[in-house]
Amino acid sequence: MDVSSAQGVGVIRRLVLAASLCVPSLVSAQQTHVLIITGLAGAPQYQKSFNETAAMLADTAKKKWGIADSSLIVLGEDRAFDPVHIKGKSTREEVAAAFLRLSRRAKPGDVVLVFLNGHGGGEGSTSRVNLPGPDPTAADYATWIAGFSRQSVVFVNAATGSGDFVGVLKGPGRVIVTATKTAVEKNESVFAAPFVRGLVSGEADADKDGRISVLEAFTYAQKEVARSYEEGRKLMTEHAQLSDSLLARSVSFGGSPASGDPRVMALVGERAALESQVADLRTKKASMDSTAYSRELEKLLVAIAEKSQAIRAAGGKP
Amino acid sequence: MSRFCLFALLVLAVNCKAQEPSARTADVLLAERSLLHGDKTDALRRAQLIAGAYEQSGTQWSAADRIAAGRAYVILGSRSKEAVRQALAAFDAAIAADKSNVEARLRIGDLFLDKYNAPEAKASFDEVMKLDPKNARGALGLARVSAFQGKKEFESYARASVASDPKLATARVFLAQTHLVAEARDSAVAEAKAALALDPESIPAWAVLGAVAMTSGDSAELKRVREAVLKINPRPADFYLDLADAATKQRRYDDGVRLAREALRFDSTSVRALGMLGTNEMRVGNLDAARPLLEKAFAIDPFNLWHKNTLDLLDQMKTFRTIDVGHFRVVASEKEAPQLTSYILPLLEEAYDSLSRRYQYTPPSAVRFEIYSHHADFSVRTVGLTGLGALGVSFGPVLAIDAPSARNRGEFNWGSTSWHELAHTFTLGLSNNHAPRWFTEGLSVLEERRARPEWGAKVSVEFLSAYRGGKIRKVSELNDGFVKPRYGAETIFSYYDASLVCEMIEQEHGSAAIVEMLKAYRDGLSTPQVFQRVLKTTPEQIDAHFDAWFTKRFGEPLKNVAANEGEESVSGPFVDAVRKGLDLMGRAQNDSAKVELLRAQAMFPEYAGQNAPALMLAKIAQDKRDQRGALAQVQRVTQSNETAWDANLVEADLRLQLGDTIGALVPLQRLIWISPYELSIHVRLAELAARVGNRALALRERRAVLTLDPTDKLEARYQLARALTDAGDVAAARRELLAVLENAPSFEKAQSLLLELRTRSASPPDDEESA
Repeated sequence: MDVSSAQGVGVIRRLVLAASLCVPSLVSAQQTHVLIITGLAGAPQYQKSFNETAAMLADTAKKKWGIADSSLIVLGEDRAFDPVHIKGKSTREEVAAAFLRLSRRAKPGDVVLVFLNGHGGGEGSTSRVNLPGPDPTAADYATWIAGFSRQSVVFVNAATGSGDFVGVLKGPGRVIVTATKTAVEKNESVFAAPFVRGLVSGEADADKDGRISVLEAFTYAQKEVARSYEEGRKLMTEHAQLSDSLLARSVSFGGSPASGDPRVMALVGERAALESQVADLRTKKASMDSTAYSRELEKLLVAIAEKSQAIRAAGGKP
Repeated sequence: MSRFCLFALLVLAVNCKAQEPSARTADVLLAERSLLHGDKTDALRRAQLIAGAYEQSGTQWSAADRIAAGRAYVILGSRSKEAVRQALAAFDAAIAADKSNVEARLRIGDLFLDKYNAPEAKASFDEVMKLDPKNARGALGLARVSAFQGKKEFESYARASVASDPKLATARVFLAQTHLVAEARDSAVAEAKAALALDPESIPAWAVLGAVAMTSGDSAELKRVREAVLKINPRPADFYLDLADAATKQRRYDDGVRLAREALRFDSTSVRALGMLGTNEMRVGNLDAARPLLEKAFAIDPFNLWHKNTLDLLDQMKTFRTIDVGHFRVVASEKEAPQLTSYILPLLEEAYDSLSRRYQYTPPSAVRFEIYSHHADFSVRTVGLTGLGALGVSFGPVLAIDAPSARNRGEFNWGSTSWHELAHTFTLGLSNNHAPRWFTEGLSVLEERRARPEWGAKVSVEFLSAYRGGKIRKVSELNDGFVKPRYGAETIFSYYDASLVCEMIEQEHGSAAIVEMLKAYRDGLSTPQVFQRVLKTTPEQIDAHFDAWFTKRFGEPLKNVAANEGEESVSGPFVDAVRKGLDLMGRAQNDSAKVELLRAQAMFPEYAGQNAPALMLAKIAQDKRDQRGALAQVQRVTQSNETAWDANLVEADLRLQLGDTIGALVPLQRLIWISPYELSIHVRLAELAARVGNRALALRERRAVLTLDPTDKLEARYQLARALTDAGDVAAARRELLAVLENAPSFEKAQSLLLELRTRSASPPDDEESA
């Protein structure tokens, strides 16, 4: 089974074979690169929320995912708004330069996360997010990410009216996430904050494996957005989209770095085998007597828990 | 055709005939007389003959004959919706033949109103008044339209009608009926008698006399009236329906069922009888019995929106969940039932226990408690239409309320509303539904305040202002504040005023006096008689006494609130001081603001409503980091205002900052009764409850979190397992945990808890229950 890379970020393929052999091969293989772009706010409340969301993602990328400064670029409307995080102005030129910089750093198999937030406009290939100066269009972004053909790209446009980005940007090795279904959904959108919250907190971790996949963050955000409209007793005016749920399921962030200790690696492998047995057992649930199923399940789950305990005792992080 | 106008139309028809002799008018008159005298078969036969002839050669008929045809179709319309349309076409044809025909327009107005189309009816009556400004029947039509639409103008139209034609019996009947609705029984009787002097065969007038006799327990008079009616019509379905209607308006729903059933015995196809019986069966909780009746009514008369709405609601209620526990049957939407019942059932049982002891009364069966997630559904359940302003309703042992989700947060407190409605079950039950509105509502509000200090109506600036302006009714006339309010806020003010009257009586005569008053009402006594028997006082004396009591109780605030005699906004020294304080705060002059606000608070210490000085003083104290001072102020609000969401949040925070974790649980629990949908409140309550060892509360709140479908469901289930473990329910905790780990085997916290449970568990896992 593949586990996270040394950076705590990786592409997880749920193959449960030769777990102990796979781990080291991925440890040094993958890195994640993050580009955060915040557009023109237009009003103080948006400025605050845009910058807070960007800062939350940047902090998590750096502190929890272990992304190096050189692989983390935050561009914003004005550095003065958040000098700690914003490293450059989010002009068309700066954005293009940032993509170029990352394309030089990214190795095959790496993950590139682009998070774009602001007020959207236009439609189709001319869809855009309002930035200082001339606005790049969806077609421009498509050109820029074309350079990452050997990486997995997660492109999140959390702006209003962002829906048409999916059609323009989608392609192999890419997960495109937009806050809205179409360019017509231009009302204020709430998607950005819950999506980032999903990525950075454990709340979105549906399978509780300590890693947040893009799909988990997306599903979490979708639910939170719906809840927000429901609580506000408003008609929902945004419907988030995701282009490739298979890839979105496998690209994940977070988790603990794998241990290089052979004892721990062996235990991790044994636990993975047990988890696989649980998965097997679940497929037989409908055909089994419920008492027998429960007994078998509990036995396996206790064994998994004991392995985790043993991993901890051996100095590893489950 | 309106039941109330029948005789007048008959008389008019005779007049028409006298003016313009017409065999067809005479024929339809005979059909109508047959109907009046209970021979529906003959009426239908005669009407059919006229309609048949009209269909053969109607285009050659005069306007008067076309009206006769329309009247025949109206009779046939009791069984055929197509006949209703044909009636309208015939009246229209009469107007086509005679552009200035008033009679046809009057008939069209009546027909539209009879089919619940008030705007079209009004347009027709307006045309009549344009052609003949003094037309008494036109003015009466407009009065009926206004009454149907709930507009106060009906009184002036009715007066205009009587002034134009003092001999119009139907106008007198209408006035008698409006007096009956307003529970002005003497006036109702006087008008009914006036109508009967003009038309001794007016069954609606007799019905008013019968209703008054029935509601005041005068069985001899009721017998006399019934015998008189039976001489006119041996099958007087509408007479019984009028009585059923009066019983229903008096909240005597069982009598409503009985009388409507009697009416149906006389006329099995009467839409009114089917509808009234169906509606009353719903009110007494027999939903299964109601459906076929309403379906039959709707099949005959598809114009009836009330019946259609109710049938739609019954369809929807098939998806509701019914939970029978203790003294209650709770009915709520599948989605909301689990969460709401976990709170409401213990509260209802607490209320039941308290109220049954106080009123020495036990409802004969389980109380049905319906909770509606959509206000429109609640409204239909209550009155058959959407748009009702109320939050809850009591039909005695059947209660219905808006779910908190039916309203915006802060609009009401669903705990106090539930308590209020349940109190009616006891006060109406003990008085056999004879307690007048003012008394039962006053007691319900009083019971709210007794249940929780912050619940129930409280004194407001607007109320004091209205009191000073003489806009609050005397005790002896308080019922009119409910049944015929003179201005928008009067009903709301009357609730509070009535609760104060009840509070005063209880203070001075003891709670036993309240019970004795309810029993006296049950015995059929009027309010003055009840005052005399139980309180040994006259209405005049209690009016004066209450005024003195009130003035003493609210002496200081009364001095500082200006009298409000019209619709102007509130004013006076208290309001001025609050405004000044607010203004100073706005200019960041908090010290000066504090002086003003404290001055305002001294003028009206009880005030906890919008812009209460206490709220602003709490804010000033918080800004100065005076947490204790802030807490003292904010509590003035949370302990007096049942919908103070933000203030309760502030109180909880302040208590936590002061290290009072147990105390913080109180405002957080109050919040649940304002809105139970905030996940964060439940999580917070669960965490704090666990911290102070209140395991039952922690468990309830963890369960509540799950009913709210949290995004992180596995975490919520893990926390529930943790709470179950803490509460000692290891088996349930393990079941929950296994379900969690089945979906997320890597979930570390759950793994640890599973191992912990194995250590704790006395018996090996293989012997225990399955996951």
